[in-house]
Amino acid sequence: MTERVGFSLARVWTIAGNTFTESVRQKVFNILLIFALVIIASASFFAEFSLGEDVAAVASYELKSIKDTCFGALSVIGMLIAIVGTAMLLPNELENRTIYTILSKPVRRFEFLLGKYFGTVLLTFVSVLLMSLMFLAVLAFKEVRLSKSAKAEVTAAGSDTEKQKAQELVVKIHDEAYDPDIVKGILLIFVKLCLLAAITLFVSTFSTSMVFNVAVALLVFFAGHLVGIAKEAWQAHTIVTYLLGVIPDLGMFNVADDIILGNVIPWPHVGKVAAYGVVYLSCVVGAAHLIFASREI
Amino acid sequence: MVRARLYAALLIAVPAWALLPLQHQIESERRQLQYGGSPVTREIRDQIGQGLAIALLAGFRGVAADFIWIRGHDFWEKRQWFKQAECIENTAKLQPRSTFFWDSGAWHMAWNIAYAERIGTNDSTVAQALTRERYWHQRGRAFLERGVQNIPNRFDLYFKLGWLHEQKLRRDCGGYPACEKAEYAKAAELFDKASEYPNAPVYIARDVARCLEKSGDLRAAYDYWCNKIWRADRRIRNNLDRAIVEREIRRLEDRLDIPTSSRLFPKVTAK
Repeated sequence: MTERVGFSLARVWTIAGNTFTESVRQKVFNILLIFALVIIASASFFAEFSLGEDVAAVASYELKSIKDTCFGALSVIGMLIAIVGTAMLLPNELENRTIYTILSKPVRRFEFLLGKYFGTVLLTFVSVLLMSLMFLAVLAFKEVRLSKSAKAEVTAAGSDTEKQKAQELVVKIHDEAYDPDIVKGILLIFVKLCLLAAITLFVSTFSTSMVFNVAVALLVFFAGHLVGIAKEAWQAHTIVTYLLGVIPDLGMFNVADDIILGNVIPWPHVGKVAAYGVVYLSCVVGAAHLIFASREI
Repeated sequence: MVRARLYAALLIAVPAWALLPLQHQIESERRQLQYGGSPVTREIRDQIGQGLAIALLAGFRGVAADFIWIRGHDFWEKRQWFKQAECIENTAKLQPRSTFFWDSGAWHMAWNIAYAERIGTNDSTVAQALTRERYWHQRGRAFLERGVQNIPNRFDLYFKLGWLHEQKLRRDCGGYPACEKAEYAKAAELFDKASEYPNAPVYIARDVARCLEKSGDLRAAYDYWCNKIWRADRRIRNNLDRAIVEREIRRLEDRLDIPTSSRLFPKVTAK
């Protein structure tokens, strides 16, 4: 009966909305999010280890350190939210037996699975958005402080050259703090988190243990970052290349370091990496559906 | 169920293989754009410790480099210069595209450590202290030269290397004029290279002319002020620049005793 009803996007959104609300009410996410916001807010204080006397070098290091810490927090805490959030979806539904109530209604399994996935994606999006806003606020705060000290140098500068150096520094601090490429880094981190959520969802369709789901997703996370190194070492072997090709290369999503160092990241490159992520995660969600559809519930 | 699992595996594997050309394209773009850092070798892994190595392998290269930098400062406070230098080397290996690590690392070596070695004469002679100071100057120079090779597309490190030649290596000449002039000439060459970058600060061009003058080549310094600074409008952004350049050109015209007809600025005669 349930398998005969047509696909409905409205039902998917209803399930996604409920999944999001349920997840937001979980203490674990609030704690993770608060933890991330605290790390990001305190990035400004970590940056005090600039260890230099030259104002330009200090400013450069402090902004670099803030960006490193914030991108790191975004990536790690975002990863935990995406993985844990997805890993508990199906096991909880099975344990609480709520899945029987839902699937006995005219809801297709694919709609249920997609709704659950989009719910986690929404949760990840909101978390990334909040963390990014805090990140930008910290950068703005630091920019104001650094610019103030640089402007004080302009006033105190004796020679013309020193005055000019200080003026150039004010401009440099502003440019480094408000680098528009930061958005590209955040976007690719978000796509990476969606991909990890899809992999966790796939694992949870054939496993009943949440711990197992989290463990496998974490292994994929580490393996995904090592794929690049493995490929370099085994590039001559075609079979190995194909075997490694199945594991998503998560190293490609790491452009944050290069953004921080001032390298230009072209939009076409960002687009290609994002497209790779979206195609891969679509296939993984499709595979998750194949297993979930044949699973006896 | 078995069939479903087989189809699911194929649904992941086949598109993943189809995506391989796109992956190769992205990788080659990354290599071309020089993204990422040097690979994590066993040597680096042993030096930075297991915790940071894991962070590094999980993609947190920047955070790992920052922690190593802070660890380097710890060695500085303990006066363990070689361990500090090792940390500096590691940060540069992890993030070879970071101007900060090359610049500040060389500054630590050629300025801070070198000075600490020069004044630390409790258990050595002054001559030994000077030798050690020179060693760190040279190490700072070699480090910055590697930095320039890694980041040739920015003015920063050329300028810092020129600054090192002018401020430190020139002093190592021990007052020997030919050596000092050669260092000034080298500094002028590096400043000139730095000043060619579009975002280089205006004062670097003036540093070129100043070092050319100190290297003894007054004519080259004068030509530089006239042709590369005064006539190249991009170097003169405001009245302040204009006043400085005019003052320097007038001074050199006097020193070179350039005839009035050939002067850029007519000689001011007292009434």
